[in-house]
Amino acid sequence: MDIFLQQLANGLTIGSMFALVALGYTMVYGVMRLINFAHGDMVAASAFVGLTIYTQVMGQATSLVAVIVIFLLSALVMAVVGVILERLAYRPLREAPRLSAVVSALGASLVIQNGIMLIWGPRMRIFPELVPQVYWDLGGVVISLIQVIILVLSLVLMVALYLFVEKTRMGAAIRASSIDQDAARLMGINVNNVIALIFIIGSSLGAVGGLFIGLYYRGITFNMGWQYGLYAFIAAILGGIGNIPGAMLGGMLLGLFNAFIAGYVSSTWADAFTFILLILILIVRPTGILGERVAEKV
Amino acid sequence: MKTIERYAVPIFLVVMALLPHLLDSRWQAVAITFLIFSVVALSQDIILGKSGMFNMGQALFFGMGAYITAILNSQFGWPLLATIPLAILVPALFGILLAGPIVHLRGDYLLVVTIGFNIVFVQVVQNNLGGVTGGPNGIFGLDALSLFGRQLTSQVSVYYFAFAVLLLTLWIMRNLEKSKAGRALHYLREDQLAAESIGINTRIYKIFAFGLGAGIAGLAGTVYATQYAAVSPEAFEFIQSVLFFSIVLVGGSSVPGILIGVFVMFVLPEIFREFATWRFFIFGFAMILAMILRPRGIWPATFGKIPKFLIKETNHGA
Repeated sequence: MDIFLQQLANGLTIGSMFALVALGYTMVYGVMRLINFAHGDMVAASAFVGLTIYTQVMGQATSLVAVIVIFLLSALVMAVVGVILERLAYRPLREAPRLSAVVSALGASLVIQNGIMLIWGPRMRIFPELVPQVYWDLGGVVISLIQVIILVLSLVLMVALYLFVEKTRMGAAIRASSIDQDAARLMGINVNNVIALIFIIGSSLGAVGGLFIGLYYRGITFNMGWQYGLYAFIAAILGGIGNIPGAMLGGMLLGLFNAFIAGYVSSTWADAFTFILLILILIVRPTGILGERVAEKV
Repeated sequence: MKTIERYAVPIFLVVMALLPHLLDSRWQAVAITFLIFSVVALSQDIILGKSGMFNMGQALFFGMGAYITAILNSQFGWPLLATIPLAILVPALFGILLAGPIVHLRGDYLLVVTIGFNIVFVQVVQNNLGGVTGGPNGIFGLDALSLFGRQLTSQVSVYYFAFAVLLLTLWIMRNLEKSKAGRALHYLREDQLAAESIGINTRIYKIFAFGLGAGIAGLAGTVYATQYAAVSPEAFEFIQSVLFFSIVLVGGSSVPGILIGVFVMFVLPEIFREFATWRFFIFGFAMILAMILRPRGIWPATFGKIPKFLIKETNHGA
């Protein structure tokens, strides 16, 4: 029972990081029908940007204000990078064959990943200890302050995003663009702005996810983006790609699944089990858990 | 186009046939690498370019062929060339079995599932399943090539082995294009629904393409194991699949385009070694730029003898 509860806590923590990153994938896919392969590397870049802001700008301060500034600045930097990425690598290919955009996304991923390596070096860097190491022992289950912060902050961000998309005019524009871009354009929605907005939101949520990864795992490497990106993308598919609550649910479920595999089977097989789960889900229900059954456009 | 075919192809073949005698051993090794990766990229083209299936796991079949050769040679003492039939058949069979339940998936889903297969494969060999794959270190110390009991230890013989495999691949692809199966694949890539409505069993042909592509990649794996006398999991990581995927699309799914792609991706870095750390950074930009300037690839493939003015600018693969 202790293992179960401990892995439940760990799984929810990992899951909320997956969910934050998955939101970036699912929103971009929803509107552009494109797997933004560079998103995972943006997440990795955010951890390094956070590290540099901590050492260069904040003078290694770990006060609450400093931590908030690090989060906001990193999110801002990544939002700018996201908009530039869309402008340079994706917008010129919006009318091109589908696969051209996929190759462009792969190219962007290589550029960002190796850009990180050229700037910060190929070795693992240690992310600063921004949050004090506080642990609570709840009858055999150990929960850290970091885990609580990650879980609470992720939930707050996800609820805020959900309300934004469902209740505001801009959110309605996003939903309309993801149903039918041309019709949305006819209704007077500036789809280019919607796509820029999506990249701003997705990249800053991914940035927060990247900082969480740094806080939780401590070691950050330039090529970790593919790993987390792939997991987050699987989470988005699990929940039903293009579906925002689906990405949140998918992330949580995938985090729990991973934690239980690590707890009960072995962490060396975690990737294999995750992909076998994905393959089974896609064979049984290709639209994911919350995705609607849509007929293939002919 | 006709004149290019008449003059460039024989020149290319003659140059490639004489090449090992003009190079020192380091550049011979580079040339062999070029031949091996060309075969893998062409096998990827059968699945991705010719049939339009978003396969991003070609390194799986390549690696499976290499591992079969390595295991049969190191554990059971088979001569390298004797492992060829199994190194083709087993990956081909896996290709058919894996493709069966997934070929109906829409493009992007297929892409993620094939990445998944690739990652599962690497994890399986890394964890040394069955105790024959050597774990993270792989298998090393394979025998040299031997033919009719004669040892062929020189690198030149490996080169001609690789060259023969490339020629075989090119021959298969030429015949494929002119065959019933090749036409069926072309139609289903252009428009699956239309292909079905004129009576093409798209499911069978898609699985066929997977099997064929996997078998050829498996054969390339045998050549790889022969050249390096070793196999290890990281050579078949899915990042390799990403490279093959990009080469086919940037090349434009034509033989010259793909060969240029392999040359740029694997031979140029050997020439400009001082830029090794910048390699993928530059390639990333090149991929974006190539797609923006030429969305159908640098050397787009043509099919059949349809006059140019009759071809509609379609978004194939969309």
